Amino acid sequence: MIHLENVSKVYPNGTEALKNISIDIENGEFVFIVGSSGAGKSTFLKLLIHEEKATFGNIMVNGHNLMKIKKRRVPYLRRTMGIVFQDFRLIEKMNVYDNVAFAMRAVGTPEKDIKKRVKYVLGLVGLKGKEKRRPSELSGGEQQRVSLARALVNRPEMIIADEPTGNIDPERSFEIMKMLVEINNRGTTVIIVTHEHDLVQEFGGRIIRIDDGEIAEDRYVSTKYHKSALRIDEDTDSDDGEKLPIDDTAETAENQEQKEAVGK
Amino acid sequence: MKLSSMGYLIKEGFKNIWNNRMMSLASVVVLVSCLIITGAASLISLNVSTLISKIGDDNELTIYLEYGLSDIDSIKLGPEIKKIQNIESCTYYSREEAIKEYKKTLGNIYESMQGDGNPFGNAYKVQLKDLAKYKDTVKQIKQISGVETVSDRSDIASKLTKLNYFVTLVGSWVVLILGIVTLFIISNTIKMTMYSRRYEISIMKSVGATNAFVRIPFIIEAMMIGLISGLLASGVIIAIYNPVRDAASGVVRLIGNSTLSVEKIWLPTLLLMSGVGVLIGIVGGFISISKYLKKEGGEILG
Ligand SMILES: Nc1ncnc2c1ncn2[C@@H]1O[C@H](COP(=O)(O)OP(=O)(O)OP(=O)(O)O)[C@@H](O)[C@H]1O
Ligand SMILES: [Mg+2]
Repeated sequence: MIHLENVSKVYPNGTEALKNISIDIENGEFVFIVGSSGAGKSTFLKLLIHEEKATFGNIMVNGHNLMKIKKRRVPYLRRTMGIVFQDFRLIEKMNVYDNVAFAMRAVGTPEKDIKKRVKYVLGLVGLKGKEKRRPSELSGGEQQRVSLARALVNRPEMIIADEPTGNIDPERSFEIMKMLVEINNRGTTVIIVTHEHDLVQEFGGRIIRIDDGEIAEDRYVSTKYHKSALRIDEDTDSDDGEKLPIDDTAETAENQEQKEAVGK
Repeated sequence: MKLSSMGYLIKEGFKNIWNNRMMSLASVVVLVSCLIITGAASLISLNVSTLISKIGDDNELTIYLEYGLSDIDSIKLGPEIKKIQNIESCTYYSREEAIKEYKKTLGNIYESMQGDGNPFGNAYKVQLKDLAKYKDTVKQIKQISGVETVSDRSDIASKLTKLNYFVTLVGSWVVLILGIVTLFIISNTIKMTMYSRRYEISIMKSVGATNAFVRIPFIIEAMMIGLISGLLASGVIIAIYNPVRDAASGVVRLIGNSTLSVEKIWLPTLLLMSGVGVLIGIVGGFISISKYLKKEGGEILG
């Protein structure tokens, strides 16, 4: 859960990137942050992940008070969120499997837990069978899916993405967005900054427009992907013909994990 | 830190060294040179100190008699020397004995001196009762006719003290400067590794790795560079110690038996140098890592 109260951010050079913003985002919401260049969108995300500190106001994120958080607690705040980058940030000398497993090793997960979980998450984003590939041997969309798998692998409560489709062609952007919606439908909060109008129109959800550091608009657009559309339509299969596993009822080990992935 | 992670982190540290081998090699070369110079200066200083203290403790003087003085005349001088108050004991030391001992210490090079070529005169070795009265005693001895000269060890001692001071002074400066250079090079090596792994670092931070966790592979890298350098440097020093000592005692006879043997110095040298190497590595590593994590490494979204 995110709670911002009269938050302002003034950069050291005097730029007032956010001006007295108040906003709440509940668990499980699907949020687009839109706005023109320099409006303060990235700054907003940076405050959430505590890369930047707010100058004034109050911020609570997933139970952490960011105005008072101690430096050594910041990693634990970040463990509640998964970050998807515009430039993917995959490590070329590691294969797909290790790129994802890396995020689990970084928080000290034992190797035996890593294996099972990585396999599951790679299946979730439709990259089964491509574990051994290098990032350069994948399409842009596939690379972003690896990056998405990495963001998901530690079971975050919240996914934060700054222009996740900025480096991908429209068709594949669509795929990524569908995956993010699917993740959201499993209970994970998803916050996406984007410039792409078409995607916002298509996928809807909560749309927050930031304009010159202020919230200019905050509305909800219902689409087939949300609420009534908890299941992804059968015909929207991905490129390699794999479907997202969305059936939560089967009592398999995989599905057990799936629930954990959604949980919290 | 969980134990299960340690293996992984150590492996990463070694990978860093390999991936960044040119810089690692440069660091090792500089650090090894620095450690060798430091070690050599310390060992020289230590040996000179040992030498000085041995000379200081030694209240024995050698009285050299005139070269042409016959054996009988020489022996007759014995009682006269003993009359001097500060003399505890007095032993005759013939020119034959002198040449024998000289050859023993210096080996066959002086073979040619055999026969008619003995350059030594007869001598006496005397023990003093009180070293403080050294100068007076020497003056008295010199007044005895037939005495050519008295070995003046206090002069050697003071020269050595000066030398030791010089070695220590120059050594400290060299060590200080090289130490700074080394720190600089090591921290640059680590900085380069960190730069080449900036994605990894930003990802680690984005998924909530603690700073300690991010740091460990880089610290291990720096530590290993330090350790390898320490081992190499001490290896070099231990290997050249005896040859250098032998060469030096060829010039100054005293060095041969008044200095430390390699058996005594090899272990402390190895341990100290490896320790210092590791320490320099850790400090250099920490400097650059802390700087990096504060600046670029703090950015996630960028
Ligand atoms: N580190 C910084 N120091 C000073 N000013 C900054 C810094 N980062 C951003 N700004 C300024 O703050 C304002 C908001 O920047 P921000 O990056 O949040 O915009 P944005 O909405 O993400 O833009 P874009 O769509 O181009 O990514 C801009 O005027 C920008 O120049
Ligand atoms: Mg931005």
